[in-house]
Amino acid sequence: MSAVASDAVAPLEPAAPGEKDAPPQAARGGPGRRRRSAAPVMLVTLALAWLGVALVLPLVAVFAQAFAKGWDAYAAALTDPMALHAIRLTLTVAAIAVPLNLVFGVVAAWCVTKYDFPGKSALITLIDLPFAVSPVISGLVYVLLFGAQGWLGPWLLDRDVQIIFAVPGIVLATVFVTFPFVARELIPLMQAQGRDEEETALSLGASGWQTFRRVTLPNIRLGLLYGVLLCNARAMGEFGAVAVVSGHIRGLTNTMPLHVEILYNEYNATAAFAVASLLAMLALVTLVARSWLEARAPELRGERAAQS
Amino acid sequence: MSIRVQGIRKRFGEFVALDGVDLEIETGQLVALLGPSGCGKTTLLRVLAGLESPDAGRVDLHGRDATQLPVQARNVGFVFQHYALFRHMSVFDNVAFGLTVRPRRTRPARTQIRARVEELLSLVQLDWAADRLPAQLSGGQRQRVALARALAIEPAVLLLDEPFGALDTQVRQELRRWLRRLHDALHFTSVFVTHDQQEALEVADSVVVMNRGRIEQRGAPADVYDRPASPFVHRFVGTSHVLPAERTADRVRIGPIDAGLVPGPDGPLEARVRPHDLALARDGEGWPARVGAVRVLGPLVQVELTIDGVPGGPRIAELSREQYEATPWRTGDAVRLSLKRWALYDRAEAA
Repeated sequence: MSAVASDAVAPLEPAAPGEKDAPPQAARGGPGRRRRSAAPVMLVTLALAWLGVALVLPLVAVFAQAFAKGWDAYAAALTDPMALHAIRLTLTVAAIAVPLNLVFGVVAAWCVTKYDFPGKSALITLIDLPFAVSPVISGLVYVLLFGAQGWLGPWLLDRDVQIIFAVPGIVLATVFVTFPFVARELIPLMQAQGRDEEETALSLGASGWQTFRRVTLPNIRLGLLYGVLLCNARAMGEFGAVAVVSGHIRGLTNTMPLHVEILYNEYNATAAFAVASLLAMLALVTLVARSWLEARAPELRGERAAQS
Repeated sequence: MSIRVQGIRKRFGEFVALDGVDLEIETGQLVALLGPSGCGKTTLLRVLAGLESPDAGRVDLHGRDATQLPVQARNVGFVFQHYALFRHMSVFDNVAFGLTVRPRRTRPARTQIRARVEELLSLVQLDWAADRLPAQLSGGQRQRVALARALAIEPAVLLLDEPFGALDTQVRQELRRWLRRLHDALHFTSVFVTHDQQEALEVADSVVVMNRGRIEQRGAPADVYDRPASPFVHRFVGTSHVLPAERTADRVRIGPIDAGLVPGPDGPLEARVRPHDLALARDGEGWPARVGAVRVLGPLVQVELTIDGVPGGPRIAELSREQYEATPWRTGDAVRLSLKRWALYDRAEAA
């Protein structure tokens, strides 16, 4: 076979006598291949080991602990009225915060990438603020603003409006903390896509809204979906900011992460990990959805590489 | 008069993109805005389209003041260098876009839209590609889709920003000749931006040469090439050799060559010459020069010349094949160099 190949294609240089009838290098495998040095193998092993210890092991531990006392205990922990309430509250908060940040994020990204205006770079920096500030501080800011001793506290108290230690405070804190996700996802994507298509649509007579709905939105929809996924994962998982504003009132202002902490502090490890397992599953679903999206839209991956 | 702009100024921060531009374009003309990058040609085009608003000045489209009109209301077709096709829409939907976004009252019926799009696609010879996505087409095909899309709204003016800039040489040449034929067949008014002087000279009825936010010269392609208004234009629309000249008592001499009477103050001048306006002879009047490399390029022959006593790199003379074959110059030959045609500029102007 190899003899046929080497006869059919005239070699550029005469082959060394001994090698004339030797099979092609690729098929030969071992001896012809350049020997790998040990460094890459070691690095990969190290990385995998670290990943195992830091990520996989805890994840396994969560589920192991959750099912430590069997399926019944697991189900009981999840159907406990307090747990159900925490789950419902978390879903409610995410259902309000995520759509709000979807709209804010798209508007912010649209402004930043399609228009030039003074103070633009300041706005981009501001969008990142919630990432830079510790979530606890974000929560405290709201307590300072709306708490009983806060700036707006007395005014709100007079009108019987409760924000801190109530659902509105939790929503506000969550919105603040998760604000950057959608905008951060869209800005590099929309920057890379430029303004040509929008300008063309306008020149063809489309209104601003038509341009957005028929040209911009379809171009960014996968990036948008990914941003929403991340935003949602964080909205459901947020602990610090929510812990400050919620007041941990069981059955009233307890979200899932807070509920987990309370259960754990009460030495109820099984119940704590049962609720935690739900959050872990959310993370896994987010990751799977993420890789599915990246497979569909290779440009998302590129943007992320360029961003970091 | 299709387009009239007066006193247009535009700055981006410290950068002056347009520094007082006046221009009139008659209906049915195909006009090229030609200049180096940063000369303001694209900004001017975007001001015409309404994609950029000028800091000062006035834009009239078809006799109406359009300075304050938004893009949507100007009825201009705009074609981008990188096509800007809607990437998620089929070729058909791209071309139909301008019709489908119209308000219900003025929107044509679906069957009418279909007929119009099909007509346009066959005009640009892409009727077979209606269901394709832009990514499945070549560059030249994409630009034809962009053109059909712009024509779908029956624009009063077609504006093209470096429309052939992203294409390779051969497609580029075919497409620009095709655009010219299309223009002649449909008689729309079009303005296109280019930095390629050959493209401007070949396609346009009228060439507007721009530099540093100003119009340097406006004229027919042959005028701009043969009678450049400034050293910049001379240099930009073709190869330009500089030779020192001197005026004494209204008589100009370009080195040993008598250039006749040109009234003006005494002092040094600058003569600019095209490569094909350099003439070579064995002896007689002219600069003594020496032949360097000789390159035969198909119908043309380039002869490098070093002029004795004149600084600057070798000048290149372009001879026709016949001229060269009648007197084949060889490297090292001593020749006399004279000029068939030249342009004189003040030194200050040249700086």
